[in-house]
Amino acid sequence: MSKQKKITIALCSILGIIVIVLAVIWTRFGYRAQSYSNTSYAMGTYVQQTVYGKEAQAAAAAAAQSVTALEDQISWRIDGSDIYKLNNAAGSTWQSMSSSTISLLKTSLDLAQKTDGAFDPTVLPLTSLWDFDGKKHVPTASELKVLLPRVTYKDLRLNEKEKTASLKMHYEGVDLGSIGKGAACSQALEVYSKKQVKAGVIAVGGSIGLYGSKPDNSGWSVAIRDPKTPEKETGSVGVINLNSGSSLSDAQYISTSGTYEKEFTKNGKTYHHLLNPKTGMPENNGLTSVTVVCKDGALSDALSTACFMLGKEKGAALAKDYGAETVFIDTNGNITVSSGLKSRFQLTNTSGYRLAS
Amino acid sequence: MFKKKDLLLILPALAIAAGMLFWNYFHTDTQPLTAVVEEKGQVIHTYNLSAQKTTQVINIGGKYHVKLLLEPGKISFLHSDCPDQICVRTGKLTKAGQAAVCLPAQVSVRIVSKKSEVDGITG
Repeated sequence: MSKQKKITIALCSILGIIVIVLAVIWTRFGYRAQSYSNTSYAMGTYVQQTVYGKEAQAAAAAAAQSVTALEDQISWRIDGSDIYKLNNAAGSTWQSMSSSTISLLKTSLDLAQKTDGAFDPTVLPLTSLWDFDGKKHVPTASELKVLLPRVTYKDLRLNEKEKTASLKMHYEGVDLGSIGKGAACSQALEVYSKKQVKAGVIAVGGSIGLYGSKPDNSGWSVAIRDPKTPEKETGSVGVINLNSGSSLSDAQYISTSGTYEKEFTKNGKTYHHLLNPKTGMPENNGLTSVTVVCKDGALSDALSTACFMLGKEKGAALAKDYGAETVFIDTNGNITVSSGLKSRFQLTNTSGYRLAS
Repeated sequence: MFKKKDLLLILPALAIAAGMLFWNYFHTDTQPLTAVVEEKGQVIHTYNLSAQKTTQVINIGGKYHVKLLLEPGKISFLHSDCPDQICVRTGKLTKAGQAAVCLPAQVSVRIVSKKSEVDGITG
């Protein structure tokens, strides 16, 4: 071998090493810089985001802001919000509000009508009586007797043209708690789309929005929390694999309503937060949780509550009407997955759960 | 005899090795670490090293009275009655991919990086 050849080989090898080192540094730093994770707090829960793309950080910040803005608009707790005004004027005047609040009220009302009140946005008198976030009070029969007539979606009236709404009677109140987190996910995904990021995932509490596809095109996997594992660990019942295309209309939303999310024990009895609007008591129909996957954030959230209230058979039928997919988990660990989701669902905890045929 | 042509084989191999070393070095230190303890091929314990706050001795027992030392971010063989003592001399494991084995006792400890494989959790 000539001397020149030797030098060429040596140089090539050195070049090779440099390329590999650069590649490692690039994957470590360059690639990482294109994804940004962020945790904030809104709507009484954690908001977690991972955004991929050049504008990832700015998009995540703007999305977090939009979630807070939505909260300021639809939370009954916040002085001056649309819903605060609506509740305050119950039994008197119509209130004008932003079109997005009207649209959420409309979605809620539609669902209330379809479920004959099993889902009801006017549950505020009930939820504030139980006060799961505070006093944790078990209502007496006489308290319920007074309050239950005040829980009726039929008294919530909308004028979509004028963008106004009203509650018919005094002491009635709207609580958008079972639709707000899903709506927040939609809001965030709109921001992602506007900022033209490549992909992004947001979790507002148990509601998740998926936008775009990750740089490695690996698709999304969303775990359903296993209520039997302690909070700090991330034990899962199973994983749902989903793909969302590059446009906003291809986004996917996942929400879960589970008895274990909020509960307390008093005098040896455990009460969970999924209250039946008709009885005023926690609904114990043998279900632990319902997970809903669909293409609308607010709807996925509201449907998870509605399907829970209706139970497995009727709930599955309702979701089908809306073109949504479901995972029902009962208290015995039986999992029922809707047909459109079967190939995408993977059971991860085989000792505590089994797939129903 | 060493031929110059062998360089063609050796250098790329070295380069790949260096690359992997870098890869390993950079990619494991930020992930939550889990120690997996196996006896006779069966997983008997798993510990979250990243969440470990205290130091504790884990008694595995058996013919060789194996004891492990669990510390924040570290795990090691504290004691074994085995003749070779290779497991004890392996020292403290702190990074994903590291392992210590006591062959006579058929006890192994390895560290895996418990990277979250899901993008979100619902419920």
